[in-house]
Amino acid sequence: MKRTSMLLLGAGIVAALACGCGAKDAKPETGGQGKLFGVVYQTMNNPFFVELNAGLKSVIEAHGDQLVTLDSQFNSLKQKNDISDLLLKGVSGLFINPVNWEGIKGSLIQAKDKGVPSIVVDAPVKDEELVLCQVASDNVEAGRLAARALAQVRRPAKIVILHHSINKACIDRVEGFREELAKYPDMQVLDTQEGKGTTEGARPVMRDLLGRFPEVNAVFPINDPSALGAISALESAGKLKDVTVVTVDGSAEGVAAIKSGKLHSTSAQFPREIGRTAAEKMYDHLAGKAVEKDVAIRVELVSKENADTFAQAK
Amino acid sequence: MRASKQLLPLLGAVIGLLLFFRMWVPNLLAPENLLDLTQQISVNAILAFGMTLVILIGGIDLSVGALLALVGTCAVFVLDRKLALAQSSLWILPAVLAGLGVAALFGAFTGFCASKTKIPPFIITLATMLVARGMALGFNEGRPIPIPEHQTLFLGLGNGRLGGLLPTPVFVMLLVFAVTTVLLHFTRFGRHLYGIGGNYEAARLSGIPIVRNTIIVYMICSLLAGIAGMIHTSQLYSAEPASGTGFELNAIAAVVVGGTSFSGGIGTMPGTLVGAIIIGILDKGLNQAGVHFSLQYVVKGLVILAAVFADVIRRK
Repeated sequence: MKRTSMLLLGAGIVAALACGCGAKDAKPETGGQGKLFGVVYQTMNNPFFVELNAGLKSVIEAHGDQLVTLDSQFNSLKQKNDISDLLLKGVSGLFINPVNWEGIKGSLIQAKDKGVPSIVVDAPVKDEELVLCQVASDNVEAGRLAARALAQVRRPAKIVILHHSINKACIDRVEGFREELAKYPDMQVLDTQEGKGTTEGARPVMRDLLGRFPEVNAVFPINDPSALGAISALESAGKLKDVTVVTVDGSAEGVAAIKSGKLHSTSAQFPREIGRTAAEKMYDHLAGKAVEKDVAIRVELVSKENADTFAQAK
Repeated sequence: MRASKQLLPLLGAVIGLLLFFRMWVPNLLAPENLLDLTQQISVNAILAFGMTLVILIGGIDLSVGALLALVGTCAVFVLDRKLALAQSSLWILPAVLAGLGVAALFGAFTGFCASKTKIPPFIITLATMLVARGMALGFNEGRPIPIPEHQTLFLGLGNGRLGGLLPTPVFVMLLVFAVTTVLLHFTRFGRHLYGIGGNYEAARLSGIPIVRNTIIVYMICSLLAGIAGMIHTSQLYSAEPASGTGFELNAIAAVVVGGTSFSGGIGTMPGTLVGAIIIGILDKGLNQAGVHFSLQYVVKGLVILAAVFADVIRRK
């Protein structure tokens, strides 16, 4: 009984304190001059999104505004909740990187109902009529570049693909890869498996594929983290010399792997540029200017020849 | 009497947390924001009500997250058939029945194993979790299956509002809360569960039907996972075979924060509801206060630990 009342007393004190501070704090936030923006990523466990976020932030903070960054941890329900939290907090604009390109629909409707413009970054959404615009790498081209690079060094090729097929950006990369591959009849895809786009997801899948297809001599993991997972599996099986890995991304880790000769090439994206462009489009829209629906950001092949200059340029 | 004594500090914590976050989020207590909170916690709360019964009898169910994905996928698989009948929005009935049927089978199997074999429920449900996840990923190569747009009733399950105000998931959550509360606190079945969890040997000797009750408890938990799964699926406009990972842990967190003892025999349904609310306020408050996402994990972990520690001290 004593303890209960003590706890209640404690709660009461906290409550009283909060009331006092809350009343004081309420004014600057609502009356402040800066706008508030929110961004929700499918994961922050990938340097790509850290870079993208830095790009967004640089433009938004240059305008004297504020950005709240949330991590949905590949959880569609959490992403839905994260977005409604931001909308109800009163953001002026929303940047979304969807976990599930179809499942995000409810959140897009909610944003539209509230009159908050949303811009999709990196991975597209299916219901594109609900968003202001989509800013993403030219992922089909990135897939083509990877296939072309592979064709120069590995023919005939027996290829496995480590996919992340819930994500449209990855679907596009594989589509471009296969499209280019069709030009080379001696290059053949043995199997496509889910590597989840992460190092820890790709590693065991690659090991299994090596067991099933000893003749594999090329891998297309759809991003740098899964390429690192594939490389780790190949190394531990002693097969890295015989297998060429080509991927899409261009992260610092990926470029380092190219320099050390483990990764052949990566079709580099420019995440900071995606972030900066997305933020600029948002400000254009808020200023009443028309914004195009699809903005494709360049991709560029990075291999051993240009790895050093690329790393410096970034 | 005991229930109210346990509930008061929890309610104090709710008020404390709300007022605490209000320091950074002035419109935290706006009606729209609070209604959104109830909607956000509905899936977790429904899972947690089932989990409360399981933990009360000294068990655990790790499979609810995977089962949620499997049931949602099965339901949409049925909804998506290219039959003339499936064009009607009333086709929701076979879809829901198929989903709940799968859930009931899983629950019955788990309950049977938990009561008839000496395998710990942790291990049984670890195994059924993998089986359910594998079966869910077997549909459509693990990719999401969109819900056909003419299935308005099923889409309304997660996105509709009753009377234009109360979100359907919240209505379902309150309904499940009412039913499970009556079941646990006002029936002989409920009293038996406290007996089984409190003192297994005494319960067995006094003739409580342990096997039957255990099977029923796991079936209820699985069925509620199924209901949560269909709401979740509807909210996403598509079944996502890979979704629900880790949902069991969030549900367990709500149960223990709500004052249910992990060793069984102690706990209440209203406590669990408040536990789910506390977890929900934490998520919303940290998000809206703009706390860096890395710090959010730490704070959430510490609050769960503190809540359970306070509970343990009070019981001494």
